[in-house]
Amino acid sequence: MPLESEPVTTAVEDAELVARCQRGDTQAFNELVTKYRNKIYAMIYNMVRNEQDAWDLAQDGFLKAWKSIQRFRGDSAFYTWLYRIVMNVTIDWVRKKRAEGEAEFDETLGLKGVEPGAVTAPKGELLPHKKLEAIEIRARIDEAIAKLTPEHRAVILMREMDGMEYQEIADAIGCSIGTVMSRLFYARKKMQSLLKDVYENL
Amino acid sequence: MKTFEEKFSAWIDGQLTGDELADFERELATRPDADAEKFAAHQLGDLLREHVATPRLANADFFNHQLMQRIAADEAQPAPAPRRAFFWTLPRMALAGAFCLLLSFAMYFVAVPKTQRQIEARQEYVAKILNAHSDDPAISATAFHDKQQNVTVLWLDGLDYIPDHQQVR
Repeated sequence: MPLESEPVTTAVEDAELVARCQRGDTQAFNELVTKYRNKIYAMIYNMVRNEQDAWDLAQDGFLKAWKSIQRFRGDSAFYTWLYRIVMNVTIDWVRKKRAEGEAEFDETLGLKGVEPGAVTAPKGELLPHKKLEAIEIRARIDEAIAKLTPEHRAVILMREMDGMEYQEIADAIGCSIGTVMSRLFYARKKMQSLLKDVYENL
Repeated sequence: MKTFEEKFSAWIDGQLTGDELADFERELATRPDADAEKFAAHQLGDLLREHVATPRLANADFFNHQLMQRIAADEAQPAPAPRRAFFWTLPRMALAGAFCLLLSFAMYFVAVPKTQRQIEARQEYVAKILNAHSDDPAISATAFHDKQQNVTVLWLDGLDYIPDHQQVR
């Protein structure tokens, strides 16, 4: 979902909705939430790998966006601005969890949270052994993602999952393009070393 | 100037062009495993996209409902009262400190005698205080201190002679 490829009409619609929000219209904000809730939830879920935490963080992120909407000047797309707020909330949360020693991968949670048909969503119906394999691979990926720092995690997910350009990632995180490229390099290296045997068995 | 790591990421993602690409590929000639690393990076991307599918928000309408309730609750809260300004602001503390310093200097210069003349004047002043407490203006009491002898003499003047029968022998 590259941000800059959003249709112009979307940007215009967003600008109108934001202007209404800035006049205190909560209904307009409700429309923006409806529009972006799935993208935001998915991004957070991939960062925290827990439905309840992803729900709570998405709530907190949107609430923070509502409280800050008066300061939105339209220098960037609304979604980029929203993404940045939500990403900051999520990275802070992950960092806090890591500091508390709770960020280690919970295998039971990883497996429980994965619905073979829905969450991993491979194309078409899978044979039972393929489903099991998909669950295991997803669990290994979750485990590897959990071992990345929040910053590396965010960058690799935005690039590989959301297909965002370097500049968009830099805007969303609030760092330089060079930092994005550097973080991507180390995040890929670490993921490759952690998932080496998964590649080999594919 | 990009670092090797930055250029490597850009190379994997096809973001290097022209001279920059040619220069970097020359640099990579010394790394025989570069192509394998690029392939592995693309494999990683494919693996993530295939197995980490985008989850959908369950109960999406309830999500909005809950959020709108939180916003309404937040809006209903009275605006926080403006914080009472703390009297001891930094400039005030600095001013007060400077004032105290000046005061202590002034007290030092006024109250602490430094020259012999000032010390003598102070002794005279002390003696005059003793004089001031005499009821009879003809009577005076003066104190002298001899530093070399380390002796203090109290000189009483204007008193009657002590009768013989009251003299201490």
